[in-house]
Amino acid sequence: MTDTIAGAPVQAPPVRPRRAGAGTRLLRVYRTEIAIAAAIVLIELVVSLWSPQALSFGNLANVAQASAPLILVSLGVFLVIATSGIDLSVGSTFSLTGMVAGLGLSAGLSWPVACLASLGVGIGVGAINGALVTFVGLAPFVVTLVTFAVGASLAFVVTDGHSIAILDPDFWRLNGGTLVPGVVNYVLFCIAGVALLEFALRKLVLGRWVYAIGSNAKAARLLGIPVDAVRFGVYVASGLFASFSSLMSLSYISNSEATSGANLMLQAIAACVIGGASLFGGTGSAIGAMLGAVMITVIQNGVNLIGINSFWQGSVTGLVILVAVLIDRFTKARA
Amino acid sequence: MTTSAFLLEATGIRKSFGATSVLRGVDLRIAPGEIHALLGGNGAGKSTLIRIASGSLRRDAGSLSILDDGPHPIAVVFQELALLPHLSVAENIYLPRLRQGFVPVRAADRRKEARAALAQIDERLAREALDRPVAEIDLHERQLIEIARALGSGARLLFLDEPTANLTFAESERLFAILRRLAGQGISTLLVSHRMKEIRAVADVCTILRDGRTVVDRQPLATLDDASIVEAMGQKAASRAAPGPSTPCSAGSRPGAGTTVGIEGQGLSLTLEPGTILGLAGAPAGPGQLIDALVGAAPDSDWNVTMNGAAADLRSPARAVRQGIGYVSGDRAEKGLLTTLPILDNVVAATRVATRRWLARRPEATVAGDALARLAIKANSVDDSPLTLSGGTQQKLLLARWLEIPPRVLVLEEPTRGVDIGTKREIYALIREMAVLGTVVVWWSTEFPELIEICDRVIAFDLRGEVSGVIAGAQVNEVALARATGMAA
Repeated sequence: MTDTIAGAPVQAPPVRPRRAGAGTRLLRVYRTEIAIAAAIVLIELVVSLWSPQALSFGNLANVAQASAPLILVSLGVFLVIATSGIDLSVGSTFSLTGMVAGLGLSAGLSWPVACLASLGVGIGVGAINGALVTFVGLAPFVVTLVTFAVGASLAFVVTDGHSIAILDPDFWRLNGGTLVPGVVNYVLFCIAGVALLEFALRKLVLGRWVYAIGSNAKAARLLGIPVDAVRFGVYVASGLFASFSSLMSLSYISNSEATSGANLMLQAIAACVIGGASLFGGTGSAIGAMLGAVMITVIQNGVNLIGINSFWQGSVTGLVILVAVLIDRFTKARA
Repeated sequence: MTTSAFLLEATGIRKSFGATSVLRGVDLRIAPGEIHALLGGNGAGKSTLIRIASGSLRRDAGSLSILDDGPHPIAVVFQELALLPHLSVAENIYLPRLRQGFVPVRAADRRKEARAALAQIDERLAREALDRPVAEIDLHERQLIEIARALGSGARLLFLDEPTANLTFAESERLFAILRRLAGQGISTLLVSHRMKEIRAVADVCTILRDGRTVVDRQPLATLDDASIVEAMGQKAASRAAPGPSTPCSAGSRPGAGTTVGIEGQGLSLTLEPGTILGLAGAPAGPGQLIDALVGAAPDSDWNVTMNGAAADLRSPARAVRQGIGYVSGDRAEKGLLTTLPILDNVVAATRVATRRWLARRPEATVAGDALARLAIKANSVDDSPLTLSGGTQQKLLLARWLEIPPRVLVLEEPTRGVDIGTKREIYALIREMAVLGTVVVWWSTEFPELIEICDRVIAFDLRGEVSGVIAGAQVNEVALARATGMAA
């Protein structure tokens, strides 16, 4: 094969680009996540200067318990954001599915059945979002704003605004039990959720499609990627995560309220952004979303421990988001 | 300077970008009331010259004098229309002229002026469209509104870059009638177009650029025939270059059994043996429809495609990919690259779909690395972003997608757009190599020399998007293509 075609050398010496070792690759892929983890540790250390109990096992367990629902919601929202969509409805889906589970339990259903009903509603809301975005072609922002509004109102409608106390003696096991000896369920489910999702996003072709669609939907379609099916799927997954998160929270708090998910939507989007996701899609990771959620919780916890008026929590969280985005912006500009 | 009779007179214009010199002494003279065609191949320097003449780019050397009697004597009518869709037509026409923010608009007066400007273009449009938002106006009429805006700002010279690219035949005729009428009123047009027939129909004189120099300086079009224009543009009117190994090779040298592809539509029925390189020539409408049909982007197309005699199911891009149809577009940003994913995913994406693979396996990195090596793509690692590569290399990356599983049909849509000459050569070589291995290549290019050099057969489409002929083998040359397509390169 030494012939030249139209004067051009055809065969350059074939040199396959070298690939860094697996460890180096992981460090590179997860550099944002590593930075966030380091920042979380740093925040805890700084807080412990004022309030030594910040690093106590009890407080760390508190942080883990408090961050669990946000982590689960953020995972679903991340999937949607990675495809360059947005899901504003998760907060009200959280409230609504919590009310459904509460209603079911107070109507005498066994708790697994009540949970299934609640998850079904979550999947249903996700399917409505997904269908309107994918098959009708409406803007995700508008569609999920509608389901957000409707869901929030339905959460009041189903019980006429009353909260429901959970009396089932076993329901707490969903959150506080130990399915695997030695690991409490809320930790187990978060870690399992993150690990499974991260594996799927990195190693399953389906996960690569999620990023591909967020990166360039038109190119993805021309490559034969089933863009519509994947898009529909991520909204369903988001609804499912929101309802599962609501069940975990309900199992812990034992009281179902119509406003339980009110802050979750903004916090979940913030968690994804802190974790390295771009709202234009195609970037970020499940681990990043989890760390973002943990960071938000750690900041809230720190503000409490230091004794700052809790009205400042939002301002601190906002500034942290800004810093995260600025760091991302300037490190990317150099790369 | 002595007062010149020219509206615009540029002499000896030079311009370099870094080490690349784009203009190396260009002359351009435009008289009042003329329609002046600016011709030249890709990279000849037309756009740079226009940007310099209109003041959006600084020249390195040369003189530029403009017969100035107004604040905005020159207006560029952009290819990508630059109107504000939610504002009314009238506002679009008068808003750019208002330079002070804190003064009353006096909309009624402004509207009257806008109406007068638009009436110069088209009475009916001025009557009916003035108060409607631009978004409701037909695309081709928006261009007229842009011209009206230029006139409203006092322009004496209009620059139109490929103004008919998205127009139907009738719409183009209407535009030309308007330009001619304006010429009668002393308003000149500098027209950049590749469509020879149009240029002949509308322009009076032409200037031809080649490699950053003026090679034909303001000559009446009537004195130039097609062949000499083609020659002046530097795209040798000679027929095929050396036949090369691209001629469909004997069955023996082809390892895999290739697929015979049939293409039917518009009264045309072509059978393409394995290894055929079929060119598509002409304005975007015609080739675009055939390409969309082939890649599964136009399920209701009138084109029918068969593979080994059986009808191909091309109802979606996924089906097309699974049936072995590969696609590479020169529009990398929009239709090609997955920019936030590493090179690895970009290379193996098509194979994953074609093989219905569900796991991103480790050996993919080896396969992708080999593909990069075969195409001499200099990447540090398959884990890097494709944005670390140059434009031409990104283009090769898109071709690398189709190496692991060679497609039965490779559809190329201007795959060498904006690519330097060395990379072009590499892309040609690769395409020939794939053809030798039995792939049928369907290639749309607006650069005739490419088609002439590489294709075995060419379907020519006219300006209306209809098939105007099939040119085979030795008959593929500049003049034949120009005649059949109505385009000059």
